[in-house]
Amino acid sequence: MTLFAVTRLELRRLFVRPLGWVIAALSLAELGWRFALLLQIFLLNQVRLAALPDGPGYTDLVAVRMDSSFITGSPLPFGVIELALLLVPLLTMSTLAGERAAGTLPLLFASGLSASRILLGKYLAVLMWLALWLLLALAVPVSLAHGVMLDWGKLAAATLGTFLALAALAAIGVACSAFASHPAVAAVAALMIGLALYCINLGAQLAGIDSGFINWLAMSTHQETLLRGLVSSADVVWFVLAVAVALALGTHRLAADRERN
Amino acid sequence: MNAPKPASPPVLELEDIARQRAGRPAVHALSLRLEAGQILGLLGVNGAGKSTTLAMIAGALRPDRGAIRVQGRDFLEYPELARQAIGWLPESAPLWPELTVREHLDAHGRLRGLSGVPLKDACDAVLERLELKELARRLAGVLSQGQRQRLGLACALLHRPPLLVLDEPANALDPVQVVALRQLLREQAAAGTAVILSTHQLTEVTAVCDRVAILHEGTLRHDAPLPADQHAALEKTFFDIAAAGRTHAA
Repeated sequence: MTLFAVTRLELRRLFVRPLGWVIAALSLAELGWRFALLLQIFLLNQVRLAALPDGPGYTDLVAVRMDSSFITGSPLPFGVIELALLLVPLLTMSTLAGERAAGTLPLLFASGLSASRILLGKYLAVLMWLALWLLLALAVPVSLAHGVMLDWGKLAAATLGTFLALAALAAIGVACSAFASHPAVAAVAALMIGLALYCINLGAQLAGIDSGFINWLAMSTHQETLLRGLVSSADVVWFVLAVAVALALGTHRLAADRERN
Repeated sequence: MNAPKPASPPVLELEDIARQRAGRPAVHALSLRLEAGQILGLLGVNGAGKSTTLAMIAGALRPDRGAIRVQGRDFLEYPELARQAIGWLPESAPLWPELTVREHLDAHGRLRGLSGVPLKDACDAVLERLELKELARRLAGVLSQGQRQRLGLACALLHRPPLLVLDEPANALDPVQVVALRQLLREQAAAGTAVILSTHQLTEVTAVCDRVAILHEGTLRHDAPLPADQHAALEKTFFDIAAAGRTHAA
């Protein structure tokens, strides 16, 4: 299927460009540092925590906290989500804006592919790269599974939440790339939209408001639930909707390229 | 008595196509037919609408009006026809600089629906034919302009399309490569491939084309067979049309 030909082409480009490797190497090193600090905090408090009935264990204090600082509130190096907010725009910026700037986008149109297939093919490639990155990031805390009590259910829910957030950020990034004429513009737009969508309810939370549309709109609301180990279909649907809306807008813009350029 | 055999449809048929670009008509009411084995030279001054016409034929742009039929089928209704039926070399041969020559061919082949052994064989054949074998592992980003042009041509030929759409294919080629390109185009035509060749070079047209069309300000001003040794006559027709356009604009 030619959809997978686009995915394959984009994956190849992601893997041969230095940017992808630099992002992967530096972010995984940073996550390793975060893990060491989380583990150190856990070991320091282990005796006190063991005395608490139903006290948090390794899964809550180390494994799940690899994903995000938003729920820990501690001044630690960035977790997977905070890194993704910054790095996914860099990864997605060239997917379509780069093709447009290099004049290669018409080559894809001339292969008889619809705008939706081109966009979906590119999106799948980015998603596969991010899934691999997430697996490598999780491999560090999971590597201690033989020596600690790991709550696999809670970890699976948190991983699902993180993956869904990555999927939404990737869709926003690809859509921004479809709209922008230059990759840098796409990266800045995706960063701003991603940050806004993640923290849009910050003001409401500071005012003590925990419900309402603004909280529903925020990505962090839905991700937090999953990070706490609760898989709710309403949260999953929010992520699916976010991906669908972003991809639909991107497709609409890309189709216009063939119509109006 | 045997019934007469129905004539096969032309490889390409443009019917009254039009397209606006940047708010002005780039191509207007263009109709054209191209049979198998024909080489059509498309001439015109800068901005005449040649590249827009070729991009529409290749499927990269949609016409605002009119019909494009490839082998008798409506191209707009079956855009996937572009995948099998058309090989396109856009102007200045855009490439992905981070991919090697071989990876380019592989990607183009897969986008055209090839895979496995047929894809490998097709890649080997065009690498050999266009003398790119030595460069197969070189990144496209470090190729010279002439090598880029040959790679673009290889990508267009890879899936053996019945229609080749070439925008300035002789750009940046040295004289030896220009002669090789002419030979290649004649071979393709002899094998039944229809070729549209857009160029600024009248000598290119007289050297390989058997028909010439001249576009001016988006409209077709001349479309006629090109007998051998008609360079002087073609030159006169071309400059008459260009001069008439300038007088009109003034």
